[in-house]
Order: sequence, then C-alpha cells, then structure tokens
Amino acid sequence: MNYSFDWSVIWEYRELITRGFINTVLLSLLGLIFAALLGILMGTLASVSSRRLRWIATIYVETARNIPLLIHMYFWYIALAYLRLPAFACAVLGLSIYSGAYVTEVVRSGIAAVPRGQYAAALATGLPPFAAMRHVVYPQALKIVTPSLAGLASQLIKDSSLASVIAVAELTYEAGAIEGLTFRTFEAYIFVSLLYLALVTIVSQVLMLLTRSRKSETISVSEG
Amino acid sequence: MSDRPMIEIESVSKWYESFRVLSDCTTAVGRGEVVVVCGPSGSGKSTLIKCVNGLEPYQEGRILVEGVEVGAKGTNLPELRAGIGMVFQHFELYPHLSVLENITLAQRQVLKRSKAEADERGRALLARVGLAEKERQMPADLSGGQQQRVAIARALALDPKAMLFDEPTSALDPEMIHEVLAVMSELAAEGMTMMVVTHEMGFARRVANRVVFMDEGRIVEDVETEAFFTAPESERGRDFLSKILNH
Amino acid sequence: MDVILPNLGFLLSGLATTAVLALISIVAGTVLGIVLGTLRYTSVPVLGQAAAIYIEFTRGIPLLVFLFLFYFALPALGGYKVSAYVAAAQGFSFFIGAYLAEDFRSGLRSVRPQLKQAARASGLTETQVFRHIVLPIALRRIIPTLFNQYVRLFKFTSVASVIGVSELTGRAMLVNAREFAPIAIIVTLALTYLVCCLALSSIGRALSHRFTVRT
Ligand SMILES: Nc1ncnc2c1ncn2[C@@H]1O[C@H](COP(=O)(O)OP(=O)(O)OP(=O)(O)O)[C@@H](O)[C@H]1O
Ligand SMILES: [Mg+2]
Repeated sequence: MNYSFDWSVIWEYRELITRGFINTVLLSLLGLIFAALLGILMGTLASVSSRRLRWIATIYVETARNIPLLIHMYFWYIALAYLRLPAFACAVLGLSIYSGAYVTEVVRSGIAAVPRGQYAAALATGLPPFAAMRHVVYPQALKIVTPSLAGLASQLIKDSSLASVIAVAELTYEAGAIEGLTFRTFEAYIFVSLLYLALVTIVSQVLMLLTRSRKSETISVSEG
Repeated sequence: MSDRPMIEIESVSKWYESFRVLSDCTTAVGRGEVVVVCGPSGSGKSTLIKCVNGLEPYQEGRILVEGVEVGAKGTNLPELRAGIGMVFQHFELYPHLSVLENITLAQRQVLKRSKAEADERGRALLARVGLAEKERQMPADLSGGQQQRVAIARALALDPKAMLFDEPTSALDPEMIHEVLAVMSELAAEGMTMMVVTHEMGFARRVANRVVFMDEGRIVEDVETEAFFTAPESERGRDFLSKILNH
Repeated sequence: MDVILPNLGFLLSGLATTAVLALISIVAGTVLGIVLGTLRYTSVPVLGQAAAIYIEFTRGIPLLVFLFLFYFALPALGGYKVSAYVAAAQGFSFFIGAYLAEDFRSGLRSVRPQLKQAARASGLTETQVFRHIVLPIALRRIIPTLFNQYVRLFKFTSVASVIGVSELTGRAMLVNAREFAPIAIIVTLALTYLVCCLALSSIGRALSHRFTVRT
C-alpha cells in the first residue's frame, strides 16, 4: 500500500463540503416533509372503507416504490425537461414521491394498529371524522410507528445522495468535485461517508428520543 | 454393571447469580424405576431434571448417569444426552419438519442411522403412540396431545436408557392428558427408567415407585409412593398434597 | 414505441446485465449476510464486534457513496484497478450483505431457546442445532424480509450506471442521447423495473407461502 494520506484537502475545501452538507440537509428536510404529507394522505386513503380510494393508494405505493429512485429523478429532470424545473426541485419531487410510498405503508399499518373502537368512540362523542382522525387516531398511530419512521428518515437522508447524479450540489456531489480537483479519492469519500454516518445516526437517535419523551409524557399525564 | 442406580444425584447445588435454585439435592433413580418429582411452582423441579442431562450446569455436588459424571470437564454431553430421552411441557417439536422428520433427525445426525433405518424406526414408534397416519403432517396440524405423543416417540427413537419428563401434560386440555399418560404408563410397564416432573397425582400413585417432593430448591421428601400419599413426613408435603388433591 | 423497437436488442441486453448483476449480488450478499448475521448472533469475541462495526458503518452511508468507495477509493488506496462492473458487483454485495446480516440475526434470535434446548437434549451438538434447527427456521421466517431487500437491490442496480456500467439504465440513457425521446424512454425504463420488481416480490410471496413455519 503506497497510498500517502493527505487529509488537509478536507480542510482546504471546507467551503465546498459545508455547502454540500447544507444542501443535503435541506434536500432531506424538504423530502421528508413532502414524503410525510404524501404518506399521511395516501396512508389514510389506504385505510378507508371505500375500495376505490384504497385502490388509488395501492397503485401509488406499488408504482412509486417499485421504480428505482434514480429513475424517479430522471423522470422529472430528463423526461419532463421541458418544464425546466431546477435540479433541486426534481430531486425533492423524486425523493418525496419515492419515499412517500414507504411512508404510506407505515402510516397504513399504524392506523390499522389503532383499535377500530377508538375511531368509533371519537365519532360517538360528536367529533367530526377529520377531528377524530386528527386528535384520536393519528397520535396513537404515530406513537406505534415512530421507530419505522425514524428508519425511513435515515433512509431518505442516504437516498438524497442520488441527487448528485442530476447535478444537485449536495454532499456526494461535492465529494466528487473535491476528488476531481485534488485526486484525494480516498480522503474525500471516507470523510463524506463519516459525515453521512454522523447525520444519519444523530437524526435517528433524536427521533427515537422524541418518542421516549412522548412516552414519559403520557405516563406522567396518566399519573397526574 | 451391578446394582448401581442409573441416575445418581449427590449433594447438588446450583445458583443463578446469588439466587440458590438447588440446595444440596441428593437422590437416585434405579434401573427400571419410575420416580415422580413434585412440588410447588418455582421449587426447582425443572432445574433439577435439566441438570441430569447437562442442559443446566450445577456448581456443587455430582450427578452420575450410569457412572459417568455429567458435570465433569471431559464428558461428551451430546453422547450422554442421546442416551437419555427428554419430553418437555410445551412439546418443542421442530416446527419446520414433518412429524416423521422430527423423529428421524437425531437418529440420522447423532446415531448416524441410514434414512431407511431411521424412517422404519420412526414409523414403528408412531404406530406405537397411535399416530401412524400422521407422519407427513406438520406439528402445527396436530392437537397438543398428539404433539406430545410425537415428542415421546422422538425421544424413544434414540433407544434411551432413561427418560426425563418435565410436566408433560400441564399444557394440555384435560381430554388429552389421558392419551399422553397412557403412553407413559405403558413405557413404565415395559421397564423404562423414568424421572417425571408432574402434578398428576393419580398417575404418580399408579405408576411411580418413589416420589421426590421439592420445596425452595431442597428435596424435602424422597419416599416410596404409598408412604408419600398416606403419610407424608413433612408439613410442607402434607400441605402440598391437601392442596393438590382437594383442588 | 418508435424509439424502443429499433433499440430493443440493445436494451434487452442491458436488462440481462442488470439481471446478472442483481443475481450475483443477491447470492454473494446473502452468503455474506448469513456469515455476518451468525457472527453477530453467536457474538464471537473479536469477529462479532468487527462485524457489528462493518454493519453499522455500511448501513449508515448512501449506496452511491459506498459504490464510489469500491470504484474509486479502495482501488486508489490499494493501488489496483477494477472494472466498473466488478466494483458494482462488489459494492452491491457488501452493501446488501450488511442489511441482510441484521435481518438474519433477528431471524436467528426468533428461535425460542426452549426449542434449542430440546434439540440439545436429543444429543445434537451446538453446530448441529444451528445447522438443522436454528438456521432453517430463521431462513424460512425471514423470506418476506429477504425478498424486500432483493427488490431493493434490484432497484439499486440502476445506480451502477452512474459509475459507467452498461446495464439497463445506462443503455436507456445512451439510447436517449441518440434518439432524444426522453418521455418514451424513461417511462419504458420505469415500467420495466416495475414489472421486474413486482415479479420478484411475487416469487418472494410464493416462497414464503410455501415455507411458512407455523407454530
Ligand atoms: N435462567 C434463570 N435465571 C434466573 N432464575 C431462574 C432461571 N430459570 C429459573 N429460575 C428460577 O429458579 C427457580 C426454579 O425454577 P424451576 O423452573 O426449576 O422451577 P419449577 O419447580 O420447575 O417450577 P414450575 O412448576 O413453575 O415449572 C424459580 O424461582 C425460577 O424463577
Ligand atoms: Mg418447571
């Protein structure tokens, strides 16, 4: 092994890395928000009694998650190039529609895990259907599925690296840029790997912590 | 070979961390003898019989099976266990194997019998426990009583010198208890050496030669069956008997 | 269709490359997953911890970065050259292996200790208990998870085009560069993946139905 390490390039190109990191965070955050909205909407559709509405959700899930994320991005960026959407927007669209399918499945299973009597009881107290879902079903479902959602969030952060392929200047893209400028291949990719590792670990730990504090909240409420 | 007992348990003690599960237990099971072990829940019955085939280690004392010390360093435990059949409360049939495969697995892997030989022995044993037509079924398709009879056949397939039973009927519905006890009584009548943890006092009285009564990890009584049922020596034994018989 | 039909042979051979790449990675990744999962399950002293670190690292980084490690970084470090195809096969196998390891471990852990005890009681050695009882039960139980991962891997293979492997996606983009019919080409591409993934899932469902362990 004759490779001589030179980690100074990381410091030298810290601005590129910082920019890439910020873009990765932004991209993930937007992707996460839209995926969550889409997932809650479709997951709810998948839980209603109307067969036709359930079909919409099923078709969405099966199509969106069985097509590679890269192709999702190409669809917005290349197939619909005439729309002239910025690459960043294409990446967000691709990420949210793709991950939204996974969120849908999680939301559906979460709702299914809440006893049906809960919804009926909420309606019986005079809550309208939307309020019954909002105040009774969703909070309970959320608690059940938080570990799965934390997993999906980490997955989405990692998946966001594919945006580099359509030239979004996020972390992976900048690693490639530094490599091109310095030929410090190993340093660039290992450093970026560690950044992803840190980001993913922190996000999933924080999400798990949130559930735990929520649990203790309910306990103290029931005690008080 | 002489008159040495098949199983000798000498001053055995066992701890889980600082909790003493077995305290200075001594008893023996002679060739062809049937010993019933009873006692309240948590008294260490399961632990004691699992020490006999080395499924649980013990820290003090000795257990000898045909003169071989179970806890000694050099003891070949798989070989020793193959010579002692064991039947569990929850059957523990292998869920991914058919009834016949359950019975042939150890014959082939441990005794290195050929498939034909193992199948033949398996079928004979299934017929013996009254389940000849079930060989292709999966365990989950059988009733609890049938599963337990398969488990007994599985243990017998290795031609054991002795059999250990750990509450073989306590997970069964009442109407199935009888079919399992019938198989066990038959085994006893044929001269099998048996150590049986059970709360079936009717079975104990009819079949057992001796009763070992345990409480809090100690062997409190170790007497002839009739003596135990007519005049238990200890206060605890009397208590236990009156509770279980009037139940 | 006007752009697809003339290029059908070219695209189909890309699909074949994709399928072979996926198959190699599935087999190698599964073997790696079993080995790593077993090391974790048995908590073999040093190797178990090494496996844990490898698994955590791999699961924490993006597939694309992982591929770059195998295509650029490791060859630079070790002073060797590797073709894009080989790097992709290595990358996918090692990547999916880390995920499968965790699935195998939880499958192995799902086997009740009492069942293992019963197997031991009949004279089976620890190795035989693992080989004949624990592993087969675990394998059957995780078939659905396994096939979810295989479908994921199949989709991942499209990323190989980024390092220049001429598989389905790579070839489709070449056809697009020549013909410039992005909608037709990308929609066809998407549908092809969709059909393949659905087929793979249904194989998984059939197998898991065939091999369910009922208790
Ligand atoms: N792995 C273990 N770790 C710690 N304590 C244990 C363990 N296994 C059993 N014990 C304890 O040892 C004691 C004896 O257990 P054992 O299973 O032998 O009782 P038992 O007489 O068979 O009771 P039961 O009638 O309920 O089956 C119990 O108090 C039990 O809680
Ligand atoms: Mg017990």
